[in-house]
Amino acid sequence: MRAKYAIAAVGAALLAAVVPVMAHHSFAAEFDASKPITVKGTVTAMDWVNPHSHLRFDVKAENGTVEHWSAECLPPNGLYRQGWRKTSVKPGDEVVVTGFKAKDGTNYMWTQSVTTSDGRRLFAGSPEGPGGPGGGAPPAGEPKQ
Amino acid sequence: MINRWTASMRTAVCVAALVCVGAAPALAQSKGYTAPRTPDGHADLQGIWEIQKSPDKDLDGSKLIVDPSNHKIPYKSEALGQKKDNAKNSVANDPLNKCYMPGVPRINLLSYPFQIFQTPDYVAIAYEYIHNYRTVYMKRDKHLPDIDFWQGDSIGHWDGDTLVVDVGDFNDQTWLDKAGDYHSDQMHVVERYTRTGPDTLQYEATIEDPKVFASPWKIRAELKRDTKPNARLLEYECQYLADEAAKKQGK
Repeated sequence: MRAKYAIAAVGAALLAAVVPVMAHHSFAAEFDASKPITVKGTVTAMDWVNPHSHLRFDVKAENGTVEHWSAECLPPNGLYRQGWRKTSVKPGDEVVVTGFKAKDGTNYMWTQSVTTSDGRRLFAGSPEGPGGPGGGAPPAGEPKQ
Repeated sequence: MINRWTASMRTAVCVAALVCVGAAPALAQSKGYTAPRTPDGHADLQGIWEIQKSPDKDLDGSKLIVDPSNHKIPYKSEALGQKKDNAKNSVANDPLNKCYMPGVPRINLLSYPFQIFQTPDYVAIAYEYIHNYRTVYMKRDKHLPDIDFWQGDSIGHWDGDTLVVDVGDFNDQTWLDKAGDYHSDQMHVVERYTRTGPDTLQYEATIEDPKVFASPWKIRAELKRDTKPNARLLEYECQYLADEAAKKQGK
């Protein structure tokens, strides 16, 4: 049985990063922009790599089975400019991840934001996702934390 | 009392206005904005700049092309076949997807910041994208003979407050965008960098290539300064592509 996840409305105006994904895949081909998702889970690892960092987390399904999810994020330079630091999430942290699910049915998603249990919300998506390329200016001011 | 004060204020304003009007010709080419000066008296272009909406997905047809007015790259008809071939397998063949250098002007149009440094003899541009850099030689007026470069050879001079950079000595290895727009080793680019405001830089490039394009064409883009406190270049490395290639070779 699959874990229930809330369908949340996504504001494309929230996409503030200016770093694009590499062209080895296109958002539209890989992710379903018509089905925004919100998934709750426990962080197992965070890979800070180019071209996409990955937040890996476990989601407990209703029947108790554990699903291993991976959320595709900006590369490290993009995450840093969104306020992420290497200490932002740690294995064991409870997170709420919003974004769009992969079309191929796997537990892979394009990430828009990650909210930690202490209420910090960090954006992790690139403008090549929903809202199209070049979405908005970077957030003003120094990122919190 | 108040009247005398007002009158002298009026006089002061009029004098100031006359001074400004008198300086108008120098201001005109930078749209009414005068950039601060470097110690050697030239416009100061220094800072971290980035294009806000990269045309890298497909430059051909982008509004950034201001000449010709139809925004299309004026390929020679015999050069279109190569463009179509490039487009067919663009993801596999894009030099950027092989960790190759982006070339010029592509490197200025990517969504990664770059930083301009100025001295009287050189303008240096450091790029976040794969630790790239260009040195613009201000005291040389001829391109190096018998050599070619991915990023070209850049020689510069001032046209008023505009930095004009003549870029030659290109190889034929780079693309102009992700869609397969390309050039030959005969490409020649003339760039113009002009401050248009405290946090804006106008970037123009005229591109010609007698082997590939029927006529020169021109792009114009506005670059914005990174004004965040502690703004700096970070890293964007692409060793992951080298790792993938090594894996494919069984290493």
